[in-house]
Amino acid sequence: MTLRELPIVRTISESGADDRVYDGLLLVGPVVIFIVTILSTILDQSIIAELLALTYIAVFVCYVLYRGLPVSD
Amino acid sequence: MNGKTATIGRDVGRILEALGGLMGVSIVVPLAWGEWFGAVAFGASALVPLSVGYGLHRRFADADSPSRLHGMVVAATGWVLVGVFGSLPFLLIAWGVHLDLPSTLEATSTLAAFQDPLNGIFESTSGFTGTGLTMTDNEEVLPRSLQWWRTFIEWVGGVGVIVLTTAILARPGSGSLTLYESEARSEKIHPSIVSTVRTIWWIFLLFTFVSILALFLAGMPPWDAINHAMTGLATGGFSITDNSIATYDSALIDAALIPIMLLGSIAFPVHYLILQGDLRNFYKDLQTRWVFIYMSVGSALLWAFLYVGPYDSPGAALRYGAFQFVSAATCTGFQTAVDATNVALGAWPAQAQLLVAFGMFVGGAAGSTAGGIKIIRGLTLIKGIRYHVADIFYPDSAVRRLQINGRRLTETEANREFVEATIIVVLWIAFLIVGTFLLLVILPAEEFSLANVFFEVASAQGNVGLSSGITGPESLPAIGKVAFLGHMWIGRLEIIPILVALRVLFRRGGMYA
Repeated sequence: MTLRELPIVRTISESGADDRVYDGLLLVGPVVIFIVTILSTILDQSIIAELLALTYIAVFVCYVLYRGLPVSD
Repeated sequence: MNGKTATIGRDVGRILEALGGLMGVSIVVPLAWGEWFGAVAFGASALVPLSVGYGLHRRFADADSPSRLHGMVVAATGWVLVGVFGSLPFLLIAWGVHLDLPSTLEATSTLAAFQDPLNGIFESTSGFTGTGLTMTDNEEVLPRSLQWWRTFIEWVGGVGVIVLTTAILARPGSGSLTLYESEARSEKIHPSIVSTVRTIWWIFLLFTFVSILALFLAGMPPWDAINHAMTGLATGGFSITDNSIATYDSALIDAALIPIMLLGSIAFPVHYLILQGDLRNFYKDLQTRWVFIYMSVGSALLWAFLYVGPYDSPGAALRYGAFQFVSAATCTGFQTAVDATNVALGAWPAQAQLLVAFGMFVGGAAGSTAGGIKIIRGLTLIKGIRYHVADIFYPDSAVRRLQINGRRLTETEANREFVEATIIVVLWIAFLIVGTFLLLVILPAEEFSLANVFFEVASAQGNVGLSSGITGPESLPAIGKVAFLGHMWIGRLEIIPILVALRVLFRRGGMYA
């Protein structure tokens, strides 16, 4: 069984924009939010939490812009 | 039992099953916060819509697929019942604490307001319709379970309970499309309606995660970021703090919320195309282009009204003016203009309040989570009027086309779209006027001005949630609460399904032949 055959992964990959990066961001999103919450509230490591949040947003924004770049033939 | 009732009963049953599922899923939150009584309340609340829904669904399992008429009655009935059953967690937790049942929850006057079922139904309907007007006087002291429930119902309601039901209890065929369209949606991303609603949820989830992390980066604590990202993206506007977003008094948080609210007011099919790399849709799509033009012009005008009015510095006028216009026009309802930090909305000059009310009236793009009459209807109306006026200058034999959003409409199509938009707008204004009159009669004249009252009614009907100070458990009389329930209901479903459902009800009741 491959990763894409797992029930949640399959539902997400079949529902979205047919793009592995977006699907990946969607799948790791709750994990990132959970880690950010733990780091900032319990472990008092807000710098690491902020870096993690920044990375997630940067990947999302950069990828949207990258997909929007005009493709030359 | 005739066929109509069976079809409506079956589909309303499915909506109630989905509502029960939402309550069941929410048990995780009180458990995580150690509010075990909240978990019991969610569990007990879930059993009611689940059993009623399951009973209806099973009883009418073989009913026919819904027609357009059935779809409208299902949407109108389903949304009323979702508001009523959705109030159960408020009611159970408030009464549980009042009766001193063993719980760790604190008894407060805010929570006590929900002992009145009308307040609970108001809060639940306001949440599901994405309005955000509230019966709480201090959201901060609510148990986390209820903070979550308010957020969660706004988040789900922003996309739609029927969209959720269709996505979960997938049923291929035209029945799903009929129900989908009756919930004020018509846009399709894929040929299949089940695939379309699943993609809508996929986009909505992805944007929710991005929004939560953006608000966290802007300085909100994680719990606050989760709640405000969900209600901001859903253009709902419930907050978990007493003074809404003004609590943080942070320009960075205000700035982070503006794009989140704007994301919520753009149609899902446009988001889909943009995610696939077609960034030109930001300006190519008529509604999206106008979202930005209209927000910019409205914010600039409001800035001018506020700068020559209550604010001393251009920076403060820009910060509060831009945020409040975007919050109003996207129909979110987050508030930064309060007395605690600057000048409350209700104390703004009448022209500023009416401009914000105009933003609430127009709303965001059709096919988004925003309310109001929608930008496309406003544009159809303007273009249609111009088209009909210009008709005088052409010979009778001239073949003319009306162009809307890249579509060239024939005369028949143009007339149909123009008439549809006109009907909605006229009815919308009629209900606004009736609601304003009613409130003027029942409220003490010395406390609220006409601008205050019109603002509040426009906010309820546009599913916005900004308040000039009228809505509250004590300040709004019971008749006003019932009237606002009606405004929120007709605003969310865009009037027609409700008029159709009422006509069916009165005909069956024999009130007119």
